[in-house]
Amino acid sequence: MSERDHTSVLRARGVRKHYGQGDGLVRAVDGVDLDVTPGETVAVMGPSGCGKSTLLHLLGGLDRLSAGEVWLGGLRIDPIGEKALARMRRTAVGFVFQAFHLMDELTAVENVELPALLAGSSARAARQRALRLLERVGLADRAGFLPASLSGGQRQRVAIARALANEPLVVLADEPTGNLDSAATLDVLRLFETLHEGGQTLLIVTHDERIAATADRLISMRDGAFVDETRLTGVTTGQLGALVGLEG
Amino acid sequence: MGRVLLVGRLAARNLRRRPAEAALLLVAMMAATTVLTLGLVLHGVTDDPYQDTREATAGPDVVASFAPDNYMGQPADLAGLEALADAPGVSDHSGPYPVVGAELEADGVTGSRRTPRGEEVGGAAGVWAVGRDPAAASVDQPELTQGSWVRDGGAVVEAGFADALDVGEGDQITLRTRLCTPMTPTTPEQHCRVVNDHSFRVVGVAVTAAARPYPGVCFAPFCPWFAEAMEDARPQGPPPDEPPPDEAVDDERFMEDPVEPGLVWLTEADARGLAPAEEFLSYVVNLKLADPADAPAFVNAHFSSSTEAQVLETWQDIRAGHDQLVQDTQNVLVIGSRLLAILAVSSVAVLVGGRMADQTRRVGLLKAVGGTPRVVAAALLAEYVAVALLAAAAGLAAGWLAAPLLTDPGAGLLGSAGAPSLTLSVAAQVTAVALGVALVATFVPALRAARTSTVHALTDTARPPRRTPRLIAISARLPIPLLLGLRVAARRPRRVVLNTISIFVTVTGVVAVLAAKTLIGQDAQLVGGTDPGTVRANQVLLVITVSLVALAAVNAIFVTWATALDAKHSSALARALGATPQQVSTGLSAAQVLPALAGAVLGLAGGIALFNGLGGGEDGVTGPPLWQMLAVAPVTVLVVAALTTIPARIGARRPTAQILQAELA
Amino acid sequence: MLALLAKERSHGYELRTRLRQALGPLGHGMNRGQVYVTLGRLEKAGLVTSEQSAGLVDRPDRKVYALTPDGQQRVAEWLAEVGWPKPDLAEFHLKLVAAGAAGLADPISIVDTQRRELLRRLRDAQRAAMAESEGSDAALLLEGIVLRLQADLRWLEACEQNWTGRRSGS
Repeated sequence: MSERDHTSVLRARGVRKHYGQGDGLVRAVDGVDLDVTPGETVAVMGPSGCGKSTLLHLLGGLDRLSAGEVWLGGLRIDPIGEKALARMRRTAVGFVFQAFHLMDELTAVENVELPALLAGSSARAARQRALRLLERVGLADRAGFLPASLSGGQRQRVAIARALANEPLVVLADEPTGNLDSAATLDVLRLFETLHEGGQTLLIVTHDERIAATADRLISMRDGAFVDETRLTGVTTGQLGALVGLEG
Repeated sequence: MGRVLLVGRLAARNLRRRPAEAALLLVAMMAATTVLTLGLVLHGVTDDPYQDTREATAGPDVVASFAPDNYMGQPADLAGLEALADAPGVSDHSGPYPVVGAELEADGVTGSRRTPRGEEVGGAAGVWAVGRDPAAASVDQPELTQGSWVRDGGAVVEAGFADALDVGEGDQITLRTRLCTPMTPTTPEQHCRVVNDHSFRVVGVAVTAAARPYPGVCFAPFCPWFAEAMEDARPQGPPPDEPPPDEAVDDERFMEDPVEPGLVWLTEADARGLAPAEEFLSYVVNLKLADPADAPAFVNAHFSSSTEAQVLETWQDIRAGHDQLVQDTQNVLVIGSRLLAILAVSSVAVLVGGRMADQTRRVGLLKAVGGTPRVVAAALLAEYVAVALLAAAAGLAAGWLAAPLLTDPGAGLLGSAGAPSLTLSVAAQVTAVALGVALVATFVPALRAARTSTVHALTDTARPPRRTPRLIAISARLPIPLLLGLRVAARRPRRVVLNTISIFVTVTGVVAVLAAKTLIGQDAQLVGGTDPGTVRANQVLLVITVSLVALAAVNAIFVTWATALDAKHSSALARALGATPQQVSTGLSAAQVLPALAGAVLGLAGGIALFNGLGGGEDGVTGPPLWQMLAVAPVTVLVVAALTTIPARIGARRPTAQILQAELA
Repeated sequence: MLALLAKERSHGYELRTRLRQALGPLGHGMNRGQVYVTLGRLEKAGLVTSEQSAGLVDRPDRKVYALTPDGQQRVAEWLAEVGWPKPDLAEFHLKLVAAGAAGLADPISIVDTQRRELLRRLRDAQRAAMAESEGSDAALLLEGIVLRLQADLRWLEACEQNWTGRRSGS
């Protein structure tokens, strides 16, 4: 297989991650194949401990594979060194975490501009881009607020804006609504829909069915492997009335 | 009682959980306590050996020696010396005794001797040989520490001198005298030849209060201190004793002056036998006054400023000579221990601060299960108090064991043998200092922890990082490692300050030590430099320097560890967002190296100020040589960078995923 | 009820017992006679046949019932049915139990099919909800639907785990 492949933005083959040895061997991820096409939203669902978070970290280069190959934007990322991985993370992926992971002592806009600064943008360019992104997620008026003064949903939206800072190929989200209540989840859902309409590729790991239902493809995962795949696009029941038991 | 046990158990368990930290803490406090113990316990500092010796030997109040006037060809004014012995105010005297300046070689150590500095020095030692009566004298009868008093063919060596030469009862020594041509402005070189070369057996070693310690023994006509005092007293005018011009320069008229002389006693006959002829002898008489306090007045009344041939010394001068040996050492040790105490406080404070998150949670738990604020504070302090007590005990032991290892310049006085005594007062002082260090460092955090509301303590929102908008804005314009480093430092300004202080204190100490060494080195060239006082001073300086540097290293490690711990989350996040591990670890290092640089520069000024403030700024030495001063800052920076790079690297290489996952817990 | 017969011919009281077992405490409110009334209706509809157990008095609980071919077809259709809000919890649960007992279909694939359907409906409902302006009555109703769908999906997840365990355990 050639080293460059332009049809998928993210591709994985035979990805495995093991911990321990012998009797204590834990197969966190056990042979996963995946193809994500540009603009697609893919959701991975599964019970806790099934390895979906680990898989996400592997795909984003935050952790090293035990076996297998991963291509991101046509470039193989599993064998490259830490330095190159870091550079890759600057431009190819944006992360959204369950715990938000914002820096407590930085305001919203300072948090959002951080990846741009790390990628080498000038302070002004990074700041302007951050403000625009905050506007896109609907938090322009909260730019100067500290995370402690923001609600959970707002914090996650700031985190999403941060993930978009360097125009990544794919946004990897790990349980993005795990710490959010119903209303905040709806906000994040709306945002994901907007991003999807804008053509952003999303890979979301979740056990929230509502998030999963927004995806184009839903993959079920259990015990480190994919067990099922459902295509949700373009298939509706056609009749909303059926939802309330009205015979159409 | 139960509560005390509980507090004790909690403290013990917490210490056991983190043995490495406890050990480092112990080292930090031990450095301070050991040096302090040394300072308090070293011989001559707590007791009064000179006084003991004076009483035991019936020490004189005034020592007067007259020498022949070689320029004029006149023998010593013996009659004048005897008249002095009968002067009003004199209650008793011994002598006059003949004195000869010579060279001493200890057989068995042919051609070289070990100086107290530890060097092998070629050539023989200078010595004044005093001829004494085998019978006991009423004034100044030296007290034997080995063997017996003078007899024919037998010499008694002064104890300090014997210690330096490493000779004892039963050894053979050779005394050699030389006769020299005069030194004139036209012939500045002397030509000397050996006139007498006699071998003696060391029959005893004794201490006396009548002479300055080796190598400052002083009789006419060669007594540097006296000459200096005379210089001050003399009105301006031509120096005396200038030879008339055009005199025969080949005349051998001078006995060679002994260099860095010690003191031995011989029988009168043997002493006279050493001199080439009667007219070359000097004489010394020991006077006891009715009122010892009158000695300076007596000397002022009787000395003549026009000739160097008469030397009068008071017992106060001699005592000062002995005290000098320990004075400098004591000063250095006391100041050194203060510096170390400050450093120790800084170390402990950083450690306590770094563990504060953990502590706060423990406090919250204790409060939640019903602990009163007092119990809570006690639990926090108990750990550090325990370590402090242990450090005090260990420091006392270490200091007590180390004290005999240092050269003892007081060998020439009574009471020098054996281990120094650990009195209750010394133990109390050292323990107080150790406890003080622990309390000062932990007081503020303990207070804050005890006052934090339980809820906050449990949910760990008690210590949010500081936010400084201006620094954040500035850092955005810097290259990435500096961006990360500055933000990491800005989160915990108090730790940055502590770091700077600790480097400042260390560098201050090191600079002061370097300056002191320079001064000592210069002095050594003036008066010889192999004397035990100099040697001990150098040893002490070395001990202080090593302690300072070790403590500072411990400090640097603490700070790095605490910083890395605190920055764990930020670093992991930065890496997740695209910073390379090198950038992160460089940033963490920079966060400490830059304050260290500031501390070093300030410490340079501080050290010079300290040195001069302690009266070290004499003889033109106001600080260490320029190259040393210029080297201080770069060396400090390099050392700090090296020490902090490794933990920073380790911290930066840990898998990001683990850290970020862990934060969820 | 039909599905329970699908496995084998049974006596009336056996059916009742199995039904009670499947429903657990929820089945205690069931009237004793209800089973036989239903069986009678089914027989009238031609889905079930009955015959007297040899040598006994004409009592409904002694009758042995069996499925007709029509009945079998009906069972198959029922198992394959997918919908929401019907079948309700109890019915779906019984569906799984019966399918598992009779071996007519894989309970897990029944669960998966239902899940897929529910997910599609959830997507529709969500889309509709987001299109609505906030606070409108319709939005409230849609939110309720979304939450219920979510709850049912969670239960389906549990079913899947449970039946997977049963399968691997047995």
